[in-house]
Amino acid sequence: MSYLFAKSANDSSARLREWTFPIAERLVPPRQRLDWAREWRAELWQMQHERPGRRPAGESSRGALSQSLSLSYGLLADAAWLRADWLRATARGSAVGCLLALSFYCLLCGVTNILLAGSWHSFLHQFSETFLGGFLFVAIPGLFIAAVTYPPRPLRSDVQHEHRGHLSARTRRNMFLGAKVLLTLALGFLSSMIAIVPIRMQIGRYSDWAQLMMWALVVTVGLRWALLNQEQRCQKCLRLLSQPTRVGRPSYNFLHWSGMELACADGHGLLHVPEMRGSWCWYDRWVEQDPVGLSLQI
Amino acid sequence: MSPGKLSHTVAIILKALSLGYQFGFEIMEVTGFPSGTVYPALRRLERDGFVSSNWEAEQDALKDQRPARRYYLLTKAGREAESTATKRYPLVSRLLPEKLVKTL
Repeated sequence: MSYLFAKSANDSSARLREWTFPIAERLVPPRQRLDWAREWRAELWQMQHERPGRRPAGESSRGALSQSLSLSYGLLADAAWLRADWLRATARGSAVGCLLALSFYCLLCGVTNILLAGSWHSFLHQFSETFLGGFLFVAIPGLFIAAVTYPPRPLRSDVQHEHRGHLSARTRRNMFLGAKVLLTLALGFLSSMIAIVPIRMQIGRYSDWAQLMMWALVVTVGLRWALLNQEQRCQKCLRLLSQPTRVGRPSYNFLHWSGMELACADGHGLLHVPEMRGSWCWYDRWVEQDPVGLSLQI
Repeated sequence: MSPGKLSHTVAIILKALSLGYQFGFEIMEVTGFPSGTVYPALRRLERDGFVSSNWEAEQDALKDQRPARRYYLLTKAGREAESTATKRYPLVSRLLPEKLVKTL
């Protein structure tokens, strides 16, 4: 890389770029790093050698140092954009992203509740009173009813390659479901505490009934969402499945299955959702991709 | 990013690409934008399918005794977005001169 800066090695501005380049390079996601470094080296070479008298207007009107600062900022901004985009793509639909989003909304609702209550102590008092005095009586039967009426469908699985990590895939799935249900219920409870404030001002003591109905709604919808969301995730990495594709024809149902096929973006497997349930295809079927076959496809 | 939501900056970069300016330095030179604006915009345009990129052949770069450049080209969607942006910002076409010598 030093050849890039050799021409003006004594120049402080060149040294600044020399110092910034490796930092920015580290910031770029590993997959794109080589291309990024190659492109920027070519661009920096261009700026220094090709047409030194015709530097870009945005970077030529100022002195050498400000020009170099602008370029250093460009290097870092470009690398940071790539890193942020990579993070966004990685977090999209992931289990961690889902839990983080729920936690963030819980925190937001919690802070709003504290502000509405006026102080931390009055919020805690209100919280314990409504949570223990009412919400639990709705949430516990709600959980029971959800488990009975909508049990997580046992996916028929063609899994052949068991996860050999610290935790089994099943344990991680159950832990994620538990955390999601808890956070969903917490979010429902905290948001209902916010929503009840204007209602209480309008209808006074009857607001207790409204709050009760709101809790029932929040618990039912929240639990249904948590369970449905769980079904639409990869059994291995817990990322949301995507690329829904229709497979087969309904008129050929006796000859071959028809329905929807959802794929894991990381290529771990496919979820077959039959259009018509039959004795031979009652549940959704999770088909894990063979790692050897996957590597051949790639 | 839909063509209807293109910012003025992105419209100028798209216009520069449509006029034949193909790599970062050239675009910075003709638009006057700093590198911190041009490169992230190019990345975003490439991610959204408005622009595709390819590397210059090493032999061509060696002939000119310089490192190979990464060239950016408008895709079909990019050309449509550029014409939409030009209609939205009519002065953009007057800002940039046509490139006299094509890079490729």
